Amino acid sequence: MNDPAAEAMASAGLEAVAASAVERARRAGADHAEACVQSSRSFSVEVNGGKVETLKQSATRGVGLRVIAGGAVGFVSSNDLGPERLDDLARRAVALARLSTPDPANALPAPAEAGESAGADLALFDPAVLELPAEKKIELALELERVALAHDPRIRRTDGAHVTGGSGTTVLANSHGLTRTSSGTAMSAYVVPLADDRDGRQQTGAYGLTKRWLTELPPMEAIAREAARRAVSRIGARPVPTARVPVVMHPDVAESWISEMLDAFSGESVIKSSSWLTGKLGETIASSLVTLVDDGRLARGVGSAPHDGEGMRTRRNVLIDRGRCAMYLYDVYHARRAGTEPTGSAVRSYSSIPGIGSHNLYLEPGSETPEAIVRKAGRGFFMDDQGSFGFNSVTGDYSFQAQGFWIEGGEKVFPVDGVTVASNSLDMLRNVIAVGNDLRWEGSVASPTLLIAEMTVSGG
Amino acid sequence: MNTASNLALPDLETALPQELAAELIEIARSKGAEFAEVFGEHSVHTSFAYEENRLKTSAYSVNQGLGVRAVIGDQTGYAYADGFSPDDLREAARVAARIARGAAGNGKPRAFRVVDAPWPFRLERPAPLALDEAGKIALVERANHAARGHDARIHEVWVTLADSSKSFVVANSDGLWAADRQFLTRLTVSALAIQGAERQEGYSTGGGSVEAGYFESERNPEEIANEAAATAVTLLGAREPEAGAYPVVVSPGWGGVMVHECFGHSMEGDTIRKQTSIRARQMGQLVASKGVTIVDSGIVPHSRGSFRVDDEGTPAQRTVLVEDGILTGYLWDLLNARLTGNRPTGNGRRSSYRDVPICRMTNTYIEAGTHPPQDLIADVKRGLYCKSLGGGSVNPADGNFSFQVTEAYRIVNGKLAEPVRNATLTGNGNDAMLKIDAVANDLEIDGSTGSCGKDGQWKPVGVGQPTVRFRAITVGGTST
Repeated sequence: MNDPAAEAMASAGLEAVAASAVERARRAGADHAEACVQSSRSFSVEVNGGKVETLKQSATRGVGLRVIAGGAVGFVSSNDLGPERLDDLARRAVALARLSTPDPANALPAPAEAGESAGADLALFDPAVLELPAEKKIELALELERVALAHDPRIRRTDGAHVTGGSGTTVLANSHGLTRTSSGTAMSAYVVPLADDRDGRQQTGAYGLTKRWLTELPPMEAIAREAARRAVSRIGARPVPTARVPVVMHPDVAESWISEMLDAFSGESVIKSSSWLTGKLGETIASSLVTLVDDGRLARGVGSAPHDGEGMRTRRNVLIDRGRCAMYLYDVYHARRAGTEPTGSAVRSYSSIPGIGSHNLYLEPGSETPEAIVRKAGRGFFMDDQGSFGFNSVTGDYSFQAQGFWIEGGEKVFPVDGVTVASNSLDMLRNVIAVGNDLRWEGSVASPTLLIAEMTVSGG
Repeated sequence: MNTASNLALPDLETALPQELAAELIEIARSKGAEFAEVFGEHSVHTSFAYEENRLKTSAYSVNQGLGVRAVIGDQTGYAYADGFSPDDLREAARVAARIARGAAGNGKPRAFRVVDAPWPFRLERPAPLALDEAGKIALVERANHAARGHDARIHEVWVTLADSSKSFVVANSDGLWAADRQFLTRLTVSALAIQGAERQEGYSTGGGSVEAGYFESERNPEEIANEAAATAVTLLGAREPEAGAYPVVVSPGWGGVMVHECFGHSMEGDTIRKQTSIRARQMGQLVASKGVTIVDSGIVPHSRGSFRVDDEGTPAQRTVLVEDGILTGYLWDLLNARLTGNRPTGNGRRSSYRDVPICRMTNTYIEAGTHPPQDLIADVKRGLYCKSLGGGSVNPADGNFSFQVTEAYRIVNGKLAEPVRNATLTGNGNDAMLKIDAVANDLEIDGSTGSCGKDGQWKPVGVGQPTVRFRAITVGGTST
């Protein structure tokens, strides 16, 4: 679907389905109803060993229907948008709501409360992504792998090069007369080169990113070289003895940490006391160098949207303001529970009930270069990759398998793996002693390089 | 609304008659693809979520559709349609066909032969169908009540009962026709304990591909709830782990997530064929300590990881990966088996019709050894006993793994001592199984808990082991 007229027609079709689902729910006995209808298309290419391994075309539609009946919530979803299914879903949603416990805080926003937002200023839709032919995407993926393989003789194979482009439209409608539609595109590319190490081992380097606009995607050559550089730099990695030392977090690692911390700012977690930031509002929880922001309205932002998963206008939320815990995030239900206003933070897909999440989450950059930060660390650990599990969202405890470099005399001296890095997030936040100037967006979470004064690195 | 009648699965062969399947396969091969396959699916999910002493959400979803795969050499084209509208299905087949660039087609399969695999176990009254809503909500309420009653320090409790009923049919250009029905139920309890400024969470699950009576006769909601609450309370006041490398004893059952991550992933046929796994060159070699036998079996009764046929129609089987330390077999899906001249082992799996089937584990476990479990602890002067693990991950290319340990105890002079929290185990999968120095005789398979992610697809799996001791593993922590 390449032309705007067809796109507009398709959106109108989704709006009609959403309106019809809300109407059917009301007829089935719902006091309030909200429909979320989504449609998305994407085409993805994976190449390996110089040729196409998989081509996949996806075209997905679906409807989620949330109803409030007698003050209680029922939720249903399906990928079938036909009228008979919608009637069946509406009846089931109301029947399920009658099983749930009534709660006066259950509510849907009226249009005036939600706020208006056309979203054109966000520039989320790039027609060029849709116009890019499949052949071109295949060429990009082949180039990505070719450059990575050519970078160094020790890179003899990859775990694949991937290019995906697609678009999606979301329509949200509720029984207060709210209707919100938004569309966006996304284009992503990544490659995973493997470098031969001693004893038959191999080292992985992975790099890639997602952008909404085709022109914002860097040349494939640059992506491939960065990935290949990462793989080769790890050759000869070894553990270091256990020590408490300064840790420099590469932006990738810092991004993962702030993503893990997000749940502590969720109003839901705070209400239930399951957040390690419970009771910390207004208090100093971090070094004054730390300002953490979730912004739903960054132009061309991968996580941007004109409205959130309940139709509330998105906004810029400052979670940590120069070290102070400045706010928590709320959807409509939890804002009512807490006696505060929603923050435009409901996230969802058609198949899930809205929950609290982030849009574009980032740490404000500082003034120091990454090189100056490594010098400042003096002797310590530069952490640039990590395992997947190691964060405790109730306590903020942090303990991850880590890879990176040992720092001695203010320089990276040899690659390290087989270690873990541990501390607690509150200690880490207070111990941020340098923030880099190297903030860059490669997805919907971003951070500059950070220096944490002390963490425990455990090795052999 | 009564679940039993409302959630019954439709007959997919009405939506996808054999003539239509044959036509779609012909279209998918119309540009020269050697192999084509259609996979039609209908699935229903329900869930009841209880928190803050109330049933917060009751949810239902229904999805159906069909995926088409066309293969030429090692190249795959994939497309799918939501629903079963014949025109949409034909369009999906045409898109998948484009992986090949030829002009001539390879035609329809001559006739389908129905795969007649034995059932690994029978479900008389599958829990998702046989329990009605009131019955499911009663389980959730009982768990909530039990967890809250366990200890005055339990501050909040989350309970979710989620189930799925799925039927699928798969047909391919070799003339295979297979169908299966799969039912899964999982009751999950999280409990938050608070004491002063300290908060800790405990977690437990029950379920699997189980009968409606399971929650009475096998594992009742109170048992699951008490486990979650007991962990949360134990962790209050637990100490930080000592950082360093030292002996680690891992408990039976879910502890098998280590063999799944550290070893199983490197045995999957895609990484073997592409030689990205270190195991590709180790057939017949010693890859684990003597006395260690590792199995992947899709036929473990009532496990989440079990089925009659996989998502490509291959019957489930038991595959011995390692026998007494020696590597003896790999896991194969259709594509990777065909390209390497191996026989598929029933490990071709996909999240749904929207996904390309890939090579996946089913139930992966270490077979029982001979030692009584207490002997494994009695020999250790200073070590860590891991009673429950959280999530884990591995990078199959470089072998680096890590696991979150949710509940552990120090071992001091052969005895369990204080509880320990927030430990992380890390190392390299290449040699992890060689570091096992004792295997106990208390094998348990956890068929209730696991979901494995690979290439963005999530799939239910079982894991298991007896009590196992590793000579030394790097334990991450803040205490030095």
